[in-house]
Amino acid sequence: MSTITKETAPQKKALQTSVRITDDDLYRHSSQYRLWSFTPDSISQIREEINVRATAKVHQDLKVFLESHPELSSEERGAIESKAIPVSTQEELLLIGYFARMILSFAGKMNLPTEVAATAVSFFRKFFLSNSVMEFAPKEMFHTALFFACKSENYFIGVESFAKKAKTTTDAVLKHEFKLLESLNFTLMNHHPYKALHGFFLDIQSVLSGKVDLNYMGQVYTNCKKAISDALLTDAVYFFSPPQITLAILLMEDEALMMRYMQLKFNLGSEIETSKDDSQSVPQADHQNSINAEKLLEVIKSCKAVISEKIIPAKEDAVRITAKLHYCQNPMSVIDRLKRQRETSSAAETPVQTPVQTPVPGDLDTKRQKT
Amino acid sequence: MISRTEYSKEKKVGEGTYAVVYVGTKRSSNRRIAIKEIKTSGFKDGLDMSAIREVKYLQEMQHANVIELVDVFMAQNNLNLVLEFLPADLEMIIKDTSILFTQADIKSWLLMTLRGVHHCHRNFILHRDLKPNNLLLAPDGQLKLADFGLARNMGSPQEFLTSNVVTRWYRAPELLFGAKHYTGAVDMWSVGVIFAELMLRIPYLPGKDDIDQIDVTFRALGTPTDKDWPEISTFGTYNKIQFYPPPSREELRRRFIAATENALSLMSGMLVMNPHKRLDPIQCLTSEYFLELPEPTLPSELPKLNKN
Repeated sequence: MSTITKETAPQKKALQTSVRITDDDLYRHSSQYRLWSFTPDSISQIREEINVRATAKVHQDLKVFLESHPELSSEERGAIESKAIPVSTQEELLLIGYFARMILSFAGKMNLPTEVAATAVSFFRKFFLSNSVMEFAPKEMFHTALFFACKSENYFIGVESFAKKAKTTTDAVLKHEFKLLESLNFTLMNHHPYKALHGFFLDIQSVLSGKVDLNYMGQVYTNCKKAISDALLTDAVYFFSPPQITLAILLMEDEALMMRYMQLKFNLGSEIETSKDDSQSVPQADHQNSINAEKLLEVIKSCKAVISEKIIPAKEDAVRITAKLHYCQNPMSVIDRLKRQRETSSAAETPVQTPVQTPVPGDLDTKRQKT
Repeated sequence: MISRTEYSKEKKVGEGTYAVVYVGTKRSSNRRIAIKEIKTSGFKDGLDMSAIREVKYLQEMQHANVIELVDVFMAQNNLNLVLEFLPADLEMIIKDTSILFTQADIKSWLLMTLRGVHHCHRNFILHRDLKPNNLLLAPDGQLKLADFGLARNMGSPQEFLTSNVVTRWYRAPELLFGAKHYTGAVDMWSVGVIFAELMLRIPYLPGKDDIDQIDVTFRALGTPTDKDWPEISTFGTYNKIQFYPPPSREELRRRFIAATENALSLMSGMLVMNPHKRLDPIQCLTSEYFLELPEPTLPSELPKLNKN
């Protein structure tokens, strides 16, 4: 090789690396980053505003209802006011979380690919970043989100067979599809942490070659995959990038392994001292990584904190909140309920009449759901 | 909600199976735009997959050589994609015998095509329907990849992909063999065929049907053997095909008279049978062909359709 090429080669390389667009640059162009990244404050504010808007509408509707029913007694009015209470932001979150979790188990029963389920959860949760559960019943939306996710992730199932498997109607599945698409701001691409997990899984084995047991790594992978699906139910997806979430999950799964990996991969500082023979045998990490390891660890730890905050809503809460929604939307059912109570107490001796069929709010499609 | 009045639909310019295309104007800026109105009635499975793909992938791409999705809106329960208005495509230019174009012009179109494909691939998106008809030309001469109705994410290893993609003449050999796993190399094959078509001014591998396509492809480029493509015998249909020897360099030179050696090498690199050995966009973009003279024509100076 001539001296000229020897001299120009590094220059050329420097030029290329400074010009080349990184994966991080590309991620910053994604709709996931541009439209669906939030801070804890900004997302709370959005949810608050949605709740305020929907609450006002419920009050307005109730007012109209009461005005248009002057025949109602004060007792009946009182019953409506005590039963038809708009739900709080916190309650909305609980209900959304409950059904988002149900999407995962439902998708599992339908043998759908992990990514499809993850996208359905993402669609479903994003839908409620512009709509309230008081406006669209999560129970109706979750089939729509799942069906739409199948199409968007190239896993097509005909609507008829989908509805059959989901024990619902095709109309119900498709009814809010456009509204969903619109609420998603027409952005459908989801970058989930599963791909990052696969990448780190391979890289850990290469960086810690000969130092990790392959069967054990397989177990780590399986556990992490499941943990990622759980993490997708938290707000971590709005605050962190998919690889950050993956690293946090790996840290939660095996902290010692991850610290060791990060030490070698990103030249993470000396705070974690390894034994002497290790530092001798382990080749120094390549320093081309411009990643600030301390900063990265900090980010991962805060991500871990958000993931750890996950709440598993109880079925009773979901039933209670759904009842409130039901009474808000159908104030007449409060009256019907009251009437039935009166009848059963006044006519205790007479055989029980078949009551006018009123939807029972507890009738969630949750029988097979384990909480 | 502003969108409904923001755009005017002036003239219907095309109708496909799932969409009607109008030319219109964006009122606030007076910009010419195209509106693709997605038909929504008559699809029993809700919103059509092609429409979903188009929206999904175009939203993620902002690049000079990929068609711009300006806006999306709903009106009367129809989905409307507002796209930049691109009045011509490469097929129209190739077919218009009154237009003369030079090696520098071909280089420019190929360069822009490769840049667009590179952008798709680095975003892990396969186009899966590259052909001259889908390479649109802006009034300023920029070439843009369009029609993402068949696009998808690059598959993960355990995923099965359908081989029934890409318009026949531009279909890579692995697809002709019905491969269930494939990569961005399928797009690169299409680009290679387009490159050949630009030089010949006629379609390079015009198969009459799917069976004939296999014959036409291998007659022109040689039947692959398991020596240069070890996995080839795993394809069920492989044993049934006619064996043709690959063309010699001299034969290629005779077929592509005006092509330089670097041009021939680049084209052959994109038309390698084994997808693992086929050139990727970066290899193409950094090839000698783009370093040698003539320099690619500036987009604004490229030949245009003679407006009637």
